[in-house]
Amino acid sequence: MDPARRLGPAQIGVLAQLVVATVLLGGIYALISVGLTLIFGIMRVVNFAHGEFLMLGMYLAFWAFVLFTADPYFVVLVAIPLFFVVGLVVYALVMRGVIHASHNVQIFTTVGLSTVLQNVALVAWSGDFRFVRPWHLSTVLRAGSTTFNLTQVVASVIAVTLTLALVAFMKWTHAGRVMRATAQDRDAATLMGIDTDRVYRLTFAIGIAAVGTAGVLVAPLYSVYPTAGLQFVLLSYVVVVLGGLGDMLGAMLGSLIVAGVEVAGSYLFGAAWKEIFYFILFILVLVFRPAGLFGQRGAETLGV
Amino acid sequence: MPRFVFTLVVTVLAVMLGGELATVRGQATSGEYRIGVLEPITGPLAFEGKRHMEGLEIVRDLINERGGVMGKKLVFSVADATDPTAAASEANRLITRESVKIITGTFSSRLCGAASEVAARHDVIYWESSCVDPRFNKRGLKHVYRTEIDATGFGWYNVEFIAKHLAPRLNLKPNQIKIAFLSEDSSYGQGVTESARQRAKTEFGMQEVMVEYYNWQTLNDMTPTILKMKQLNPDVVHHISFSNDGVLFWRQAKEQSFLFKALVHAGATGYGSADFGKALGNDANGVFALLEPGPGFRLESLRPEGQAIEKAFRDAVQKRTGTYPFGAHQLAGSGLWLLKLVLDKAQSDDPEKFRAAVMSLDLPVGSMINGWGVKFSEQGQNANDRVQHYMLQWQNGQLVTVWPEEFSTLRAKWIPLGAWDQRK
Repeated sequence: MDPARRLGPAQIGVLAQLVVATVLLGGIYALISVGLTLIFGIMRVVNFAHGEFLMLGMYLAFWAFVLFTADPYFVVLVAIPLFFVVGLVVYALVMRGVIHASHNVQIFTTVGLSTVLQNVALVAWSGDFRFVRPWHLSTVLRAGSTTFNLTQVVASVIAVTLTLALVAFMKWTHAGRVMRATAQDRDAATLMGIDTDRVYRLTFAIGIAAVGTAGVLVAPLYSVYPTAGLQFVLLSYVVVVLGGLGDMLGAMLGSLIVAGVEVAGSYLFGAAWKEIFYFILFILVLVFRPAGLFGQRGAETLGV
Repeated sequence: MPRFVFTLVVTVLAVMLGGELATVRGQATSGEYRIGVLEPITGPLAFEGKRHMEGLEIVRDLINERGGVMGKKLVFSVADATDPTAAASEANRLITRESVKIITGTFSSRLCGAASEVAARHDVIYWESSCVDPRFNKRGLKHVYRTEIDATGFGWYNVEFIAKHLAPRLNLKPNQIKIAFLSEDSSYGQGVTESARQRAKTEFGMQEVMVEYYNWQTLNDMTPTILKMKQLNPDVVHHISFSNDGVLFWRQAKEQSFLFKALVHAGATGYGSADFGKALGNDANGVFALLEPGPGFRLESLRPEGQAIEKAFRDAVQKRTGTYPFGAHQLAGSGLWLLKLVLDKAQSDDPEKFRAAVMSLDLPVGSMINGWGVKFSEQGQNANDRVQHYMLQWQNGQLVTVWPEEFSTLRAKWIPLGAWDQRK
């Protein structure tokens, strides 16, 4: 019998390692998805260029490392404000014009933006695969027979921190309340004197800052190349739909679910099966719980 | 009077000879022979495509220094084959607008099929120097040729190496070897893996403990696969990787302290690309990749004509890029050199005469760049045992030639692979 399917006492170690793999991979997925769910939830825009901002974050880490031997953890401090500004600029130049247009127009626009960014990267930095190798890259923490890759642990911790910070921001600050109000009913919010354009601008900038940061943090783990974003973007849509649009804690849980399905599927059936499993889950959720596994505020405006 | 006659004769001869010389010279300098070159110069395949282009340009210059092809200067019409659609439309453009009679390219298995279909439709000769898709030469296209072996040939060589070199050094009989097959799921990965599985099982009775395919583009974590493999405890891991998947497997295998005796790959992708060494430095030590010859390759092991062109080629690559030739240089370069040999023999680009020349070429191993020989099958495929391949090993940041031993000054190390921190 396939030893992978036998579950005895000797398998406890393996099981523990699989759980760790799920949590660490889930952390990376959450980090990437949080910005997407924010933009998705509040602006009701599917940002197809999300993966490309991730790719830009990875290149930032790469060039900072090559030119200034800057550690990615230091670059994160630069990346947050830098990508916030990038978000503001992209909003002003591109998103602002289509924010009131139909979903189709928005999709075409962001897909176009995605292609433009990929090709800009290709022209500027060539199609080569690049690598960021800080000294702590292969640092491994051990607890018994279970191992933890330090870079993944840091990425996961930052993902949790970032998510909690965003949740707190949405819940307890005035700007957060205004953003939620806009998400619930754009027209009513405008009537209440909310400058929705400003809200969208802020939302987009925060979302891009989050994904840019994610790019910097995952750069040491994966190779950096112009279409690197595509590796993650599909599954981040799954995560966002599972978690419920705009629900950041939901995205966190959704990430763990997708990672769990991926890890368990790869172990039990083979790596080729993982996407089948999580896309089946994706379809089931869309059919039976379109507002996400955990329900969601403001889902009623979805059809707008 | 006789003096006048003499002067007259000399003058007439001089004019005739001079004219003759002028015509010959005119052919060599002003006459050009143009072929179409299809390579991915932009897009996701560009990193290898550009190196192919370099190899082609270097050998084009070597050819022109040696009298060109059919007495004319060889020139290129270059087209960018970003993806299969572009490959097909650009092949069409080269044929209809640039009127080329021969197209060469394209390095990738994703492109060669589409491009060669177009060439075949127009009765244009298609000369492939890389692309290892096994289906390429099984479509019954009469004027489509491939100088490199296909993926099934790679699998053949890999098992040859495992059975004849690794097994004795591991003190195992081939049928005692437990082998795990892991591969990316493109036609390339599947072609190599399936032919290796077949030969390992039927010819040597090796024990297959696992076979698993994955999509490298969406692979983010190999820990589950590694945990599974750890329990299956293979001696040899036969892993065909495409890019970052090789780095990911090796890094995570180290994290999980997964110990096995050897890892064998084939091709210039994944473990066989310079990127693997760049990503891992000395941690890469010990990995085997079947490739074209690298540092350690003995020139003296080739035949005299092979030595001459191999040396000229290596020097030209060194001069232009500052490095030892990469696989992409070697595949493109040897492919183009072989095209010159055929054209010199055929003295024509007429498809039938060209085919007759291809079929009549019979050169032993060691006759040209990479120590290759030539013997084409009726399907237009150069033979496995003529297109000599070599096992290279990552040793301290460099891929060096280690097998077959008669072709190399260097020897394979770390057999079996020791603990992860002791491969220095």
